Amino acid sequence: MTYSALTRRYFDCADGAGVLTGPRVARGAAGSRAQGTWLQFDLAWRLPTAPPLLGAAPAPQIEAARFLAFACPHTIAVASWVVECSVGRAVSAKLPEPVQAIAHRFDLPVAKLGRLLIVEDAWAAAAAALIVAAGTGPAPRIAGCET
Amino acid sequence: MSLPVYLDYAATTPVDARVAAVMAGALTADGVFGNPGSSSHAFGNAAREWVERARAEVAAAVGAASADVVWTSGATEANNLAIFGVAAHRQSEGRHLVTARTEHKAVLDPCRELERRGWSVTYLAPDRSGLLDPSQVGAALRPDTVLVSIMHVNNEIGVIQDIAAIAGVCARYAGSGHGGARLHVDAAQSVGKCALDFTASGADLMSLSAHKVYGPKGVGALLVSQRRRVHLEALQFGGAQERNLRSGTVPTHQVAGMGAAFALATQDSDAVEAERRRIAALQERLWNGLEPLGGVLRNGAPAHSVPHVLNLSFADVEGESLLAAVSPFLAVSTGSACASASDEASYVLRSLGRDERLAEASLRFSFGRPTREADVDRAIEIVGQAVRRLRMIGGHG
Repeated sequence: MTYSALTRRYFDCADGAGVLTGPRVARGAAGSRAQGTWLQFDLAWRLPTAPPLLGAAPAPQIEAARFLAFACPHTIAVASWVVECSVGRAVSAKLPEPVQAIAHRFDLPVAKLGRLLIVEDAWAAAAAALIVAAGTGPAPRIAGCET
Repeated sequence: MSLPVYLDYAATTPVDARVAAVMAGALTADGVFGNPGSSSHAFGNAAREWVERARAEVAAAVGAASADVVWTSGATEANNLAIFGVAAHRQSEGRHLVTARTEHKAVLDPCRELERRGWSVTYLAPDRSGLLDPSQVGAALRPDTVLVSIMHVNNEIGVIQDIAAIAGVCARYAGSGHGGARLHVDAAQSVGKCALDFTASGADLMSLSAHKVYGPKGVGALLVSQRRRVHLEALQFGGAQERNLRSGTVPTHQVAGMGAAFALATQDSDAVEAERRRIAALQERLWNGLEPLGGVLRNGAPAHSVPHVLNLSFADVEGESLLAAVSPFLAVSTGSACASASDEASYVLRSLGRDERLAEASLRFSFGRPTREADVDRAIEIVGQAVRRLRMIGGHG
């Protein structure tokens, strides 16, 4: 297996690997170690200091993010990149880019596209947990996953 | 950036400089370049002398008669010639074969092909250490069994099967009035690493490779016992070389290289034993350096293995990431599907009962003449860092 320079860089550094603790931390995971890919995101959040628009709930912002991954180099690299991109942004259930764009960015083989869906699921689970914890929206349905 | 540390000698070895020098003597106009099949002039006769000297060297190295040696392009061709050749010759007597799940693909794939052609194959399951009980072979033999194919030294885990005992089982079965299965042994990994005596083993056919023992790639041999009157059909035609079993011009430089490599690997028994002890110490050094990581499982049976191979599984580490982390610095083989053409985790380790995750997160370290303690120490450092880091990333740190 060969890896793109970007994949290699994010896999080798794996910045953002770890966990967060504290009252304002939400966690979401997807996949299964037994199946070969498991991913967890921890998101620390804060409410924005600027007043919200009339009628809108304050959108929490991601203050810090970490990930854990039992996964292939592509998945670890993408998770590290997602964490890097997310800090300072308003929380969203969506990844920073569509899955196809991320696949192109990291030069993922077609056979690995399913792993990106696990990244997407783990991120969505963490974002949903954050929204519930911050009390800024309804609790979305989360697919079952190993924790 | 310096080259990775090479610990993949079970995959292939560099050609010994002395072997390369011999080979060079059979290539150019000032050397023995003639066609060994050209008996009408001195050039061909000189080449044939080299070919026969190499045949004698290979035979002497493995306890065979010169007449037993049939040159091939390598062990894969030798395995194919043995299996398809015996099957073709004996198909009127029976259409059943016995082999093991842990054989090399060069044996398993021909067996699968024979199954597609209507043959029946029994695949024996070794125990968790990779060893076959010879009685398993006995239990699998049937009146219509024409061939048993069992490897001597396993290429992934280094386990040595008791070929003499298996040959004894086959002989007893034949002596009891049932059929008479021939025994073929893939010994590609054996030469220079453990005792190997073709005649004394009782095997009928044996596959050999040059490049596992500091000889060139592209040449090997099938030993076909003349004493035991083994017969098989040829698979290729066009010149009737090699007793009509393997047509094609014999490559003088290749077989001369194989002969020289086999002679170097076996002629000095004291040196062979000293090297075996040195390699065993390196293997133990590597195991002692990695075992403290915890969750490191040794695959195979150390007491029944060549010391040149150490196969380890690492718990709580994803296989492809392990290989990706170490491969820039360390050349080893892996059980990971990402590195195999068949896109499956090591079937050998799976046959031993390892689950898929452990089979994938395995590394085969194999040592050779150039391996030094510093190489092993560097491997310990590289693998240790990778395992600790990946366990941390996976939440097991």
